[in-house]
Amino acid sequence: MRTFSNLVKPYIAWMSVFIVVPMLLIILYAFTTVGNEVLPFKFTLDNFIKFFDPVFLRVLGKSLQVALITTVISILIGYPVAYFIANVKENIQTLLILLVTIPMWINMLVRTYAWISILSDNGLINSFLSKIGLPTVTMMYTDFAVVLGMVYNFLPFMILSIYTVLAKLDKALIAASYDLGANRIQTFIKVVFPLSLPGVISGITLVFLPAVSTFVIPKFLGGGNYMLIGNLIETQFITVGEWNFGSAISLIMAMIIMISMVITKKFDKNVEENNSSGGGRLW
Amino acid sequence: MKKIFIVLAILGLFLTGCSSSDKETLRVFNWGEYIDEDVIRAFEKQYNARVIYNLFDSNEMMYTTLQSGEVFDVLIPSDYMIERLIAENKLQKLDFGKLSNFDGVMDHLLNLEFDPNQEYSAPYFWGNVGLVYNTNTVSEKDLEAGWEILRNPTYAGRIYFYDSERDAFMIALKALGYSMNSTNEAEIQEAYEWLLELDANMNPIYVSDDVIDNMIAGIKDIAVMYSGDATYVIEENEDLAYFVPEEGTNFWVDAMVIPSDALNVDLAHKFINFLLDAENAYANTYYVGYTTPVQSVFDDVTGEDGDYEGADSYVPRMDYAFDEVFRHNEVVKKLLADLWFRVKAQ
Repeated sequence: MRTFSNLVKPYIAWMSVFIVVPMLLIILYAFTTVGNEVLPFKFTLDNFIKFFDPVFLRVLGKSLQVALITTVISILIGYPVAYFIANVKENIQTLLILLVTIPMWINMLVRTYAWISILSDNGLINSFLSKIGLPTVTMMYTDFAVVLGMVYNFLPFMILSIYTVLAKLDKALIAASYDLGANRIQTFIKVVFPLSLPGVISGITLVFLPAVSTFVIPKFLGGGNYMLIGNLIETQFITVGEWNFGSAISLIMAMIIMISMVITKKFDKNVEENNSSGGGRLW
Repeated sequence: MKKIFIVLAILGLFLTGCSSSDKETLRVFNWGEYIDEDVIRAFEKQYNARVIYNLFDSNEMMYTTLQSGEVFDVLIPSDYMIERLIAENKLQKLDFGKLSNFDGVMDHLLNLEFDPNQEYSAPYFWGNVGLVYNTNTVSEKDLEAGWEILRNPTYAGRIYFYDSERDAFMIALKALGYSMNSTNEAEIQEAYEWLLELDANMNPIYVSDDVIDNMIAGIKDIAVMYSGDATYVIEENEDLAYFVPEEGTNFWVDAMVIPSDALNVDLAHKFINFLLDAENAYANTYYVGYTTPVQSVFDDVTGEDGDYEGADSYVPRMDYAFDEVFRHNEVVKKLLADLWFRVKAQ
């Protein structure tokens, strides 16, 4: 077996070229500014100081808020769906999970575009409303459209990670709970839900992180008025050409994401210690 | 073992099959929805070439792509971006001896500020920026206010505004009576406040290309649009009309240029010449709806029984003192981009 360990080496080389080097470049850009001809760049913290501007902070706050709402809605919808799937016959489970993942086979841009024709003022929903004589509603370019787009795009991650844990749950524990006199609701609250928390937590990570940094969904469904942190980074790179400031914002985002991961990890650990045995593990 | 050799042999056949073609390759970088693809096919056939055709959706995106090291043979950016590329030595001079069709280009599109001696660029499409409005719901009298109609409370919530700092500040500066290329900080500040007020009171929707479909569908009443897009939406929805305020607007030219690091300069010239050919220029202008720079085609399509006879937006105002071409200014550009973000994030 030892001889095979050499096979890992190309992968390590690949990783360092395509993952580590770009990251180092971002860090370098974030801490530097364009210098003069003798010294092409000089170190500075200005890029970070620049971010502490009420306008940018408000954009950050809005991003966190939208991502949080998206995550909560994803749990509220995703948990019952996952629970339902985990409790049907095995071959139907496979089919349902396939149905959940099918939208992910299609490019996210296309799926988001599809929502435009559903939500727009002359779109599917509004045509239907006016046909049955109801007043139309403006949905495009609103918070509603953006949150809907995000929930739609990221919900499968929540369903899948909760389902994986629920499906592996030891059924004997549920039987034991019934034997000890608990009813269905008590069993769910005291046994099933606590044991499924690891799945919920990784679902939160998988939904919250992309939601907080996406820029395509707010751009398409929220219009140019809808500025989230991802859009700010995009503008800095593409329109303004301020790669240094853009990199600094990316680093700040990376830090926020890291902190939230540490928090969820910690929470995850506490849960695992409580569930000393029997809980389905995701990984 | 035998099987492996067969597989290798087949693979080998494939590889030689690919490399045996002696077609020359041309890399073109253009705006999306900005050419009749049949024209590309025709070029490939005539010159036994292969065209790799890439799209961008803003001059800035094109510039970022170039900066990341991609190589192209022909680019079709706008005036101010060409000025920037020339200043940064990123373009080579065209060999006009190879462009036999260049004589057909309209005179007033030549020797503009961005390429004063007409050395680097050959016009592709041109036009201006104006307002598309619904003739049933917008009164002619209100239009007399010019750009200021965008701040008329009657139309609050009924406006699409173009999501680009250049166009936004162009409108604000023109409405205030300044040059759209102003470098005066006080004037820019005033324009910023003009836009802030518009944003606060009018609840405009900031759009890009989605404005085209939305205006055809008649969702809102007024939109800031490029003349070529206006031609298209008016064709599709007869309630709409095009209006260019008297305070002046942006007169623009998108032109073909060859980067200094182009790999196939000769073929690039052939491509540019091909697009300036009357027949191909007609196919493009008919397909895209933007105004052609080729005089004979322009006369044809705007003349009697022409495809664009009577289309106001197809004939952008020429030689009008208050219409200007954008100039490149790195400092102002960053300032405007920052201010525009603040307007939107308000």
